Amino acid sequence: MSKIIQFNKICKDFKVSLKKSGKNKFLNLFKREHKTISALKDVSFEVEEGDIVGYIGPNGAGKSTTIKIMSGILNPTSGECSIMGYTPWKDRKQYVKNIGVVFGQRSQLWWDVPIIDSFELLKDIYKIPTDEYNETLNELIETLNLKELLNRPLRQLSLGQKMKCELAGSLLHRPKILFLDEPTIGLDAVTKLSVREFVKTINKKWNTTIILTTHDMSDIDALTNKIILIGRGQILYKGSFSAIKEKYDHIKQIEVEFAKPYDKIELEGYEVLSHNHNFATLKNKEEINFHTKDFFNAISKKYDVVDFSVESISVDEILAKLYTELKL
Amino acid sequence: MLYNKYVKMHTKSTMQYRSNVMMLSFSACLISIGELLSIFVLFKNFKSVGYWGFYETALMFGIITAVYSLTECFARGFDEFPSLIKNGDLDRLMVRPVNMVYQIFGSKIEFSKLLKACLGIVVMIIAIINLNIIWTFTKILVLVMTVICGCLVIWGVMLVGAGISVFTIENLEFINIFTNGAKEIAYFPINIYNKWLSRLFTFIIPVACFNYLPLSYIMGYGSLPSVVYALSPLFGALFLIPCLLLFLWALKRYQSSGT
Repeated sequence: MSKIIQFNKICKDFKVSLKKSGKNKFLNLFKREHKTISALKDVSFEVEEGDIVGYIGPNGAGKSTTIKIMSGILNPTSGECSIMGYTPWKDRKQYVKNIGVVFGQRSQLWWDVPIIDSFELLKDIYKIPTDEYNETLNELIETLNLKELLNRPLRQLSLGQKMKCELAGSLLHRPKILFLDEPTIGLDAVTKLSVREFVKTINKKWNTTIILTTHDMSDIDALTNKIILIGRGQILYKGSFSAIKEKYDHIKQIEVEFAKPYDKIELEGYEVLSHNHNFATLKNKEEINFHTKDFFNAISKKYDVVDFSVESISVDEILAKLYTELKL
Repeated sequence: MLYNKYVKMHTKSTMQYRSNVMMLSFSACLISIGELLSIFVLFKNFKSVGYWGFYETALMFGIITAVYSLTECFARGFDEFPSLIKNGDLDRLMVRPVNMVYQIFGSKIEFSKLLKACLGIVVMIIAIINLNIIWTFTKILVLVMTVICGCLVIWGVMLVGAGISVFTIENLEFINIFTNGAKEIAYFPINIYNKWLSRLFTFIIPVACFNYLPLSYIMGYGSLPSVVYALSPLFGALFLIPCLLLFLWALKRYQSSGT
């Protein structure tokens, strides 16, 4: 497989003017102090053709900046980037023919005009031949179930319907790479699932490379095993998501039901997360490996246990742990 | 052509708010008529300003009104460039394989300005009928050039404002001095004003080039050779070049904001 995206030591600095409050406000009009904030520091990674890659990190980590550099909106302060042989910010017009971008929170479609008209405009913008356009459109209508939406203006659509139309709009020209910036934000469970299903289908059918940023870890769980983790402008981890999950696999959360209420629950090696009458939630400390048998022996010695269940910690918790561990 | 599609889309969008557009159009026209009336009242009392009479000033008023309205209608995207940056639409435009200037033209068309443009043209026609001008081909050409170059100059001012807003992200009120302020000034022949003011609006922002200079040619006034007056609109159009360059330079330095 060939490398479709190559990012080599990309740095991006922003100059921010410091506004002082108080007496000097008037002087600030003429003299401003500048501070340089580096949004990206030596970011390097590669993406292979046909991959779905999750690009994750806390707010303000530099995700959007990276996406903007990759889509040719921003030019980096230093470093090299080659996507399909193009340098995005240099060959903008040639390059953007090959990409699709969905910004989860802003629309590319027209507010007051039927969706189909917006699509027709995109057809002209991308100079898509009519046959090809009709074929792609029909395929998209079928997979996304868009038929009834096409003749309605964007303002009448729900958030989920809007996202479906957005996705279709950014795929009309059959881009080789699709950038999705938080595509499932604010969507209900059913729509979320269908959006994910669609992303998977497109990836398989057209071999579209997909770069996805999200805060919803179940997106990542459902779509891909390849992640790039960024924090404070630096790449902290790239590789498989399951490896991270395994790292925290030994931590379990245990819910215990007791025969009678206790005033206080204490168990060596475990942390009590909550305690209410007969019920308690415990978690083993990180340095200890969890064994069901050991746990049961230990707790039943001290307390009268009726029932208990063991769960792995959630993906969100894993990420939260990772963020704290890396001091983000 | 792509631009036709943009026009179609904006028409469809505008038709959703028909009464709103009508109200906007009529109120803009009422204001213009009010301004014209005040010029009329002025000439009732003074007969002439310099060697310019009422109908000559009305012709100037008509040109200025038409020029401003047409530019505000079709170059609205540049006029409202800061909002294009603020709501992230500029980012959207940048991921499309079409020239940016073309796309910004397409991003907004303000049809509510068209009625006022028509009013300007009607005022021009009425003024011309009442002025005894012996029309020649070059005079008609100069008049047409005046309107076209006027639009280019105003577009130039908008480009400068848009270019600066790339760095400030704010709406620049001081640019209004040059757009709306110049408009108020240009209702009258610029050469009646103070020397510095008239130089500013002749050589720095060449408002005079679609104001008294070409009209001097059409009316046969003025002390300079008539070629100078006839070619003045073209001189004005040169103003666009540095403005466009500044805008393109600024656009290259655009730093998208936020998420």
